[in-house]
Amino acid sequence: MATQTRVSHRHVLDLDIFSQNEIEEMLDTADSMKEILSREIKQVPTLRGRTVVNMFYEDSTRTRISFELAARALSANVVNFTARGSSVEKGESLIDTVRTLQALGADIIVIRHKQSGAPYLVAQHFAGAVLNAGDGWHAHPTQALLDLFTIREQLGHIEGCKVVIVGDILHSRVARSNIWGLTKMRARVTLCAPPTLIGPTRFWKANWPELDIIYDLDAALEGADVVMALRLQKERQQSGLLPSLREYNRYFALTAERLAELGDDVLVMHPGPMNEGVEIMPEVAVAPQSVIETQVTNGVAMRMALLYRLAS
Amino acid sequence: MRYFIKNGTIIDPAQRVATIGDVLVEDGKVTRIFNLTEIASEQGIVGEDVEIINARGCMVAPGFTDLHTHLREPGNEHKETIATGTLAAAHGGFTTVCAMPDTHPTQDQASVVRQIRQNARRTSYVRVDMIGAITLDREGKLLTEMIELVEAGCIAFSDAGRPLEDPAVMRNALAYASILGVPVMTHCEERRLNAGWAMHEGAAGIRLGLPGYPAAAEEAYIARDIGLAEMTGAHLHICHVSTAGGVALIRQAKQRGVHVTAEVTPHHLTLTDRWVLGSLAEDADTHATAGGYASNAHDSAGKRVRLDPTLLAPYDPNTRVNPPLRGEEDVAALIEGLRGGVIDAIASDHSPHAITDKAVEYGDAACGISSLETALGLVLTLVHRGEMDLVDLIARLTEGSAQILGRAPSSLRPGARADIVIFDPDAPWKVDTSTFISRGKNNPLHGQTLRGQVMLTMAGGSIVFRREDFGTNADHPPQVSRLDGILTNES
Repeated sequence: MATQTRVSHRHVLDLDIFSQNEIEEMLDTADSMKEILSREIKQVPTLRGRTVVNMFYEDSTRTRISFELAARALSANVVNFTARGSSVEKGESLIDTVRTLQALGADIIVIRHKQSGAPYLVAQHFAGAVLNAGDGWHAHPTQALLDLFTIREQLGHIEGCKVVIVGDILHSRVARSNIWGLTKMRARVTLCAPPTLIGPTRFWKANWPELDIIYDLDAALEGADVVMALRLQKERQQSGLLPSLREYNRYFALTAERLAELGDDVLVMHPGPMNEGVEIMPEVAVAPQSVIETQVTNGVAMRMALLYRLAS
Repeated sequence: MRYFIKNGTIIDPAQRVATIGDVLVEDGKVTRIFNLTEIASEQGIVGEDVEIINARGCMVAPGFTDLHTHLREPGNEHKETIATGTLAAAHGGFTTVCAMPDTHPTQDQASVVRQIRQNARRTSYVRVDMIGAITLDREGKLLTEMIELVEAGCIAFSDAGRPLEDPAVMRNALAYASILGVPVMTHCEERRLNAGWAMHEGAAGIRLGLPGYPAAAEEAYIARDIGLAEMTGAHLHICHVSTAGGVALIRQAKQRGVHVTAEVTPHHLTLTDRWVLGSLAEDADTHATAGGYASNAHDSAGKRVRLDPTLLAPYDPNTRVNPPLRGEEDVAALIEGLRGGVIDAIASDHSPHAITDKAVEYGDAACGISSLETALGLVLTLVHRGEMDLVDLIARLTEGSAQILGRAPSSLRPGARADIVIFDPDAPWKVDTSTFISRGKNNPLHGQTLRGQVMLTMAGGSIVFRREDFGTNADHPPQVSRLDGILTNES
């Protein structure tokens, strides 16, 4: 089978091949979608007759529901597929599953997978469009776009903002996609993590020379406009990457004291799901500076914008 | 049958010869070499029973010896058989392959080795030498009956793709093998340092979010095994070295007089971790530091010698190999090591797989490249770029491997077994894996244009591979222009 090797703009697999203009266009489209969601009847006929399949090979609450609501708001037929309880458990390969979905008439596949790169494999074997809903440690472009959308909405601009991403950077697809998006939008990005959760910094700088990487959170937060905390899986401590969650919380978590230092104008973000008391304290999550729930709300508008783009 | 190979450029590293001349093969042996001044004396050669092979513009060299081949038979005949693997070897110019013991049953006892040798005698196209397992079932615990295995024909020991985790077992294996005069081939991989790995730990892996296999996981093991070899006085052979640090350790050990040898694969010499990026490597170029990767290199004749990772899709499972494709600094150190003799030989690590083993998510894909048929074309890239001399390169495919096995190097000396490869060092060809003789079509070079192609391979005086009707037109006059820019230090 002859396959396309260049990553086509027919899909959204990561923000790496997006230009600044294309990202801005997406944010503008999401603005219109958000307006639709504020109407009494939150539905438009844009995707009527199209079939969107949500393929989730990994557990997810907000992303899956968000995609489902977005597809329904555009009047698409939505099919939810989870690996559990499907032929995947009988050993069906990803490629065969995709071919089956294609034969059943899928137009758009939304895929979440624990293996980095799986959406690229799907894209090579599927005639329709593929939307990456998170693959391994690699990318989560819809999350990054909704984060950009939220920053622009709250602060009025992205360019020149100082954004600090703190937490388990090494294993985070949210971090990688946000780095692509934020650097393309000319924000200043600072990463902060213990060395075991970021790895050799030269490998990050080789991809994104403009990154600042600082191990001391208090120093990293100086002058920040936005701070994004990442989920810390408790298994990281058990696998030896951290001495204790207590120490992590003390040196790398968003606490009320740190928030007080940052002032009233900072934006506190988190992609969810949170481990309250680990990477973020409960009172910070609900502080006036927190836009964590706004992120979730904006996620539906952003995903509508992406589905609209892929369908047209 | 007699063959008279005329007008080729004879490259015989064992004799330090690189000259235009003719080779006479009789009864499976090389019987005479004629250099330019002796050509007048050839008149008596031509007769009814002599086939003249016109090798003008081509190199005539001793057949290559591959130290590291996975033939898969018995047990995984859907991936490869002795017949298909050895015919693929013949297409690649190899006249001897050393069969790794990761078969089912594994080559851990004399009866199995004898049986496989018997099968090989019946079905193989080139010579097959057997590598015995170091430990029973390759489990890293109990030593095999090494003396008996050597008597049954094993020429080396290896646990094929598995590191010997227990250093005491490795010490005992080296000590025991030291009386046998055969190398212990070690796969250096500290698996506690690369748990869950999918590719090299480096910039490309960070971008792609793939779990890393750090260079130190290889280097730590090489250091350990060198220490054990030094202690036991045994012959340690490092399989497929892939890191700059590994090359440095081997260099130091050799300087101290430790009996250590090493091999490198064609892909580790020429491809980097950027190949996993595939088409995404395009924009990564803007950040990539200048280094060993010759992205737009041209040779002295102005021909493109570019290997282009962007022909692949991102995360192409055919780029997944153990050890993984490394960084540019590693590739540069491997080339330097090969040139300076720190690395003794080029070995294919031919690892054929079925399509279903590779058509999966990257991290789940089987490791390995079906490499015999692209090996020569790929390593000639180094010659075309001016990074390695052709005679030295051929030496690493012939006498380098032979010396590791403790043999007289394959040669074109009168009296030598007629294992001969004729190749055109310049001929451009496009790699099409669907035409591979090997059952394994897993090779990331699909679609690349390589320069340098095997035209004819003779094993023990029989032609085992001939490209179309190569060499049958005997009337052409000799021509030498193709050598320009290829031979940089004729000796």
